[in-house]
Amino acid sequence: MAKLAGPDAALAFVPYAFFFQHGTELHLTPLVQADVTGIGTQERWTLVAKVGTVSGPTSLAGYTILSMAGYAPEFVRHAALQAWPLPSDVKIESTGQLLSALRRVAAGEHVVALLDQTQAAALPTLPFAAQLKALMQSPPLPVAVVAVVNGRLSAARVQALRAGLLKMSRAGDADTLGQLHLQGFVLPQLPGQTVAP
Amino acid sequence: MGCALIALVVVGCRTPPRPAELPRIPKASTVEELAAAIAADAKRSDREPDAKIRAELAAEANNDAAACLAREPQAAACLYGRAIALGLEARAHPTRAGELLNAMLGSLADAEAVDPSYDEAGPARVRALVLIRAPGWPLGPGDAETGLVAARRAATLRPQYPPNLLALAEALAKTGDSNGARENYEHARALAQAQPAGTDRDGWLREADEALLRQSDR
Repeated sequence: MAKLAGPDAALAFVPYAFFFQHGTELHLTPLVQADVTGIGTQERWTLVAKVGTVSGPTSLAGYTILSMAGYAPEFVRHAALQAWPLPSDVKIESTGQLLSALRRVAAGEHVVALLDQTQAAALPTLPFAAQLKALMQSPPLPVAVVAVVNGRLSAARVQALRAGLLKMSRAGDADTLGQLHLQGFVLPQLPGQTVAP
Repeated sequence: MGCALIALVVVGCRTPPRPAELPRIPKASTVEELAAAIAADAKRSDREPDAKIRAELAAEANNDAAACLAREPQAAACLYGRAIALGLEARAHPTRAGELLNAMLGSLADAEAVDPSYDEAGPARVRALVLIRAPGWPLGPGDAETGLVAARRAATLRPQYPPNLLALAEALAKTGDSNGARENYEHARALAQAQPAGTDRDGWLREADEALLRQSDR
């Protein structure tokens, strides 16, 4: 955050959750959207609870939502769970230890887990998967975006950079992209925003 | 994932007594010699900047582990050696690290079942380090909570061996117990200082000092 707010930051490559949470504050303008290997340009987030505990948004009162995206509570409430208006006392916490979080869910603690697409797809591999239930899925949301910070690039540079990034997947840059776990970039199609090519 | 193993091998293996330093031990050697050769390859690999040479060391270690297991399939030294060799291979071939680390954990479990005290509770200690340093679910076998359980096992079995306390401290730090981590880093440091001078002791002291410094910065 501090680096992006500093005077030298011109471009940011960030998860969509970060963009949603801090995009306005940091004056981020989307340039391109990442096409991530094994995921694509969009992903759905899945809310997971212990079987037989949560039946709808109101029954989450007093619960804590654990997620890798917990650092972006606005994203959790208004993007991933936009169809599930959360009670005001729901807490949202960030965790990198999803396995521990899911064990807590399965143990019956008052916690639920919000999983990204990769995590949700791996759910059946857990030995205690039968104790878990997917409650709802988000609409498809961008995975990650490259954004211009605070208008620090000229319009000409933005156009050139965008054209270069969009060409990458077709220009034999597979090695470079592969190291970043990317297949390429596409024009941003963020919910509520469109960018002209 | 592979890079996480660099430090793992340093902490995971003490320098074993060897009949002679490099060059290579002949193929027709004993289980003890083969195990020592694997541990020596791990040490060399940790200091080796050239990825090609690290891949060669991993291949050598795997050959030695296979030879060891051919002689005594149920020897803890061979099962443990195979685990270390798999760790080296995971570092050399990061794209296969997931499957290799799972196989490594399997070999460590086998070694621990045969002789949990081998290499100063090495099977549980190395298991702990793999579990706390590898990427977590669903990308890898990392599991900090299970790693903490393994680290406690090693520290209970050989409480005077500094690397066991270092592994326990790291597991406690990873699972959020910073006080417990600091206590164990300090304990490990005190135990290391009581050891005879040498590269192992220097490494343990450095690891404890660096971790304590990081903790005081927080």
